[in-house]
Amino acid sequence: MSRGRASNEERERLLRIIGLCVAVENRGIDPFEVQVQEVLGLLRKYLPEWKELDDFILDSETLKQVALIVRLQSDWIKRRSSSVFVDPLLIEVKLKFMDTQRLADVFEKAWHPVVEMETLSRTRVEQAIDYWNLLTTMDQRRIQLPNPTGSLGETSLEELIRRRILSKEAFRETLNTLWEELKRRVGKDRRVPYWDFVQQPTYEETVRRAYLVSFMITYGYVAMQVNPLEEEIFLVPNTVVVEPTFGKQALTIPISIDRNTWEERAQKK
Amino acid sequence: MSEDSAAIERRVRRAAKLLFYKRHRQPGVRGWELGRALGGGYPRIIEILNERLEALDLQVRTVNEAAAGEVRVGSGEDLDRARFYVTLRGSLSTTDLIMSGWRVDDVAALIVAVALIVSRGGKAARTDVEAILREKLPGWRIEQNLNRFVRLGYLAQEENGILYVGWRSRAEIDEKLLLRLILGEPMTVRPTQ
Repeated sequence: MSRGRASNEERERLLRIIGLCVAVENRGIDPFEVQVQEVLGLLRKYLPEWKELDDFILDSETLKQVALIVRLQSDWIKRRSSSVFVDPLLIEVKLKFMDTQRLADVFEKAWHPVVEMETLSRTRVEQAIDYWNLLTTMDQRRIQLPNPTGSLGETSLEELIRRRILSKEAFRETLNTLWEELKRRVGKDRRVPYWDFVQQPTYEETVRRAYLVSFMITYGYVAMQVNPLEEEIFLVPNTVVVEPTFGKQALTIPISIDRNTWEERAQKK
Repeated sequence: MSEDSAAIERRVRRAAKLLFYKRHRQPGVRGWELGRALGGGYPRIIEILNERLEALDLQVRTVNEAAAGEVRVGSGEDLDRARFYVTLRGSLSTTDLIMSGWRVDDVAALIVAVALIVSRGGKAARTDVEAILREKLPGWRIEQNLNRFVRLGYLAQEENGILYVGWRSRAEIDEKLLLRLILGEPMTVRPTQ
């Protein structure tokens, strides 16, 4: 009778066999604990009845594990038949009954520590002195570092323009419009909560607005205030565009806008 | 001194420098590295160096990292892939052992761990090693010791918690002699490599 799918009992049995094979391989247990012939008989019995892909995968995984066990059995016989084989159980028993001093004595006889030397050659010392003399100070090196804020913003915008997604003029116009809107919306404290400004009726529009706000901040249209304790972020529009200062330490604040967060905020609104 | 013997002297001195001075994180030099530095006949140069080191109670030990045991120079085994070390030829006295910074109970823990793993064919579950150590040592000391043995290279551990014999044990411990001594062979026998 063809059932097409393995029963849970059959699957569990094969999974148990795989588990046993893995344990034997990992823990160095006697590989003859696995009855290879019996397992192969089971696979031979199950296989003609199975039709599902998952069952075939389980069948091949079991067969692979059994093949590994056969290899371990071969290694096991070779090791046992060699002249230097010592029964691990015997060693374990001996170890349990040996006192610490006796173990240390055994180690002393069987241990031949590696001899190694660590030294600096005259050439290496001369190279190190030359390197030190040529090394610029930390202050000088810091000045040479590029301004990450400016280059990051410009690259992104250039990329958009290069791909003809927008023109430079249109992009500046969009930022100016958004800047004016922000200025209109500020309260007495001259600031607007970030999410109040960014949140829009659709998720796509919210992401687009957040993207534009990030450029407004980078290009100096807007400053950002972060209150880490209350986890609040505010946007403070500058009255004039403040050009990014070269060499000044830039701070990047990542803000994640995933669909779930947007939905939660939309419901609250 | 003929030109030939002068060249051999130079190669022996170069071999000694390569083997004694630690060049990588792990001591020792691979066969192919020796071949590159000393030329094709490097096994003969190593044999000459080994003969000279005998007077200092040192030896060149050649270890096959893929399988347990020493590779004999001239045995036809793949020397290029083996690792060459300089080790003590004889053994240390108990005083020297203590002076080298090993506590006697740490030594005992190491020997139990290595012997158990070697007797099981080169690998054992960390839990099994911990179980036998727990009979005589506190848990915190076992954890500390096993981690230290792994760090020093005496043991190696896989992510699934299986312990193996590490590169340093292969280089420094005469595994066969170790098992024979545990089984009761008299201590007076001088170990041979």
